[in-house]
Amino acid sequence: MAKYMTLLWGSGSPPCWRVMIALEEKNLQGYNQKLLSLEKLEHKSKELLAINPRGQLPTFKHGDNVLSESYAVCFYLESQFKSQGTKLIPDGPAEQALMYQRMFEGLTFYEKLNVRNKEALVTELRLWEGYLQKLGSGSYLAGPSFTLADVVVFPTVGTVFRFGLSPERYPKLGEYHNLLKERPSIRASWPPHWLESPKGLDTLKDI
Amino acid sequence: MTRSNVVKKREPQCLHGELLSSFHHPSTTSLSVVRIHSETMAKAMTLLWGAGSPPCWRVMITLEEKNLQGYNQKLLSFDKMEHKSKEVLDINPRGQLPTFKHGNTIVNDSYAVCFYLESKFKSQGNKLIPDSQEEQALMYQRMFEGLTFYDKLNAVIYYDWFVPEGERHESALNRNKEALTTELKLWEGYLQKLGSGSHVAGPSFTLADVVIFPTVAYLFRFGLSAKRYPKLGEYHNLLKDRPSVKASWPPHWLENPEGQDTLKDI
Repeated sequence: MAKYMTLLWGSGSPPCWRVMIALEEKNLQGYNQKLLSLEKLEHKSKELLAINPRGQLPTFKHGDNVLSESYAVCFYLESQFKSQGTKLIPDGPAEQALMYQRMFEGLTFYEKLNVRNKEALVTELRLWEGYLQKLGSGSYLAGPSFTLADVVVFPTVGTVFRFGLSPERYPKLGEYHNLLKERPSIRASWPPHWLESPKGLDTLKDI
Repeated sequence: MTRSNVVKKREPQCLHGELLSSFHHPSTTSLSVVRIHSETMAKAMTLLWGAGSPPCWRVMITLEEKNLQGYNQKLLSFDKMEHKSKEVLDINPRGQLPTFKHGNTIVNDSYAVCFYLESKFKSQGNKLIPDSQEEQALMYQRMFEGLTFYDKLNAVIYYDWFVPEGERHESALNRNKEALTTELKLWEGYLQKLGSGSHVAGPSFTLADVVIFPTVAYLFRFGLSAKRYPKLGEYHNLLKDRPSVKASWPPHWLENPEGQDTLKDI
């Protein structure tokens, strides 16, 4: 199955990371992949534009199906491979509702990371700190199980700590980060250039 | 353990059960029960919404498609800042609409509500996620491109609402108009490729149409030219008469049938 899949991706791109986590969770290791350089603008190359007119990564092919939206890939994989690997959409209606809710808030969380408005990012971080506080130690974002909400949001959390966020100021997020960074699917898909340079940046250390 | 010789009568455990036991005619039982069951479900739902909001419209279309008419609803005014009222903030700390409650479950993002309702009510109303792998892939893809589409629309028609007066620039608005034009050409191309009468992800009406149609309706409400975008025009005509869409059509559009012409030249 995985050999009919191809992923074009960039290192350190949270949307790409989401897809890689999902592929690992669904036991689809062995997919074909090509690492492109965002810096060298390889995502605007003819090769990519031919399959994805928006020139964005990730771009994922499964047979003739081309998906270039990370959430679309995650939903698609969970739906098509429901019976293998980790169950990523819980059955319980309350957990499911919370999962969907957090997934879509995750889009806002990711946007706030990209915008230069630090105050807005702080407000957002405090919201998530509160969500985790309410669920209790060792919890995932939507409750006791690892779900699609964690697949799509963890890369954003990984990024904020890479950029120097203080776990002292955001202890619940820090706990969550520690809990998940050891998860096999996340270790397997950890951005390669982060492994090469373990020390990140300190852009967010004071927020 | 003694074995009881008395056959215990099964007590109805819920409203559904009670209704079931009171309908005796076989041919009307299942339809009546299903309809009443749906209405009962809908009565446990509340939607807080605002006029002029495509995200709210998405939820209303879904509720109609899943036969959940009869839900409680409250129309709030964005102009009067009612989306930041205590009533909303109590259930949605982000102070945004739509805000949706089903019993004790709160779901606050339009896409989240749509997915939640399709999942929970999979077996009633219209099937909104197709079984075919190809159609499903296209549906998910278009749904998420739909977020970009909606953003590009807002950046033009709601420019003044989102950008504080001191920060507005003609050049920025023009850039946003160009970005919207590029986006429109993409969707025109998508529909062209699928052929006449198609929905946005293929032959069936799916969640992709639920989330995207409101954006398309707003484009035409704000004066988009159907001559320049004939495929989008066709798609608009195809869906505007769909029962779920008609039932949830923005009330203020019915009051004032003539829209604006902000987009007539793009």
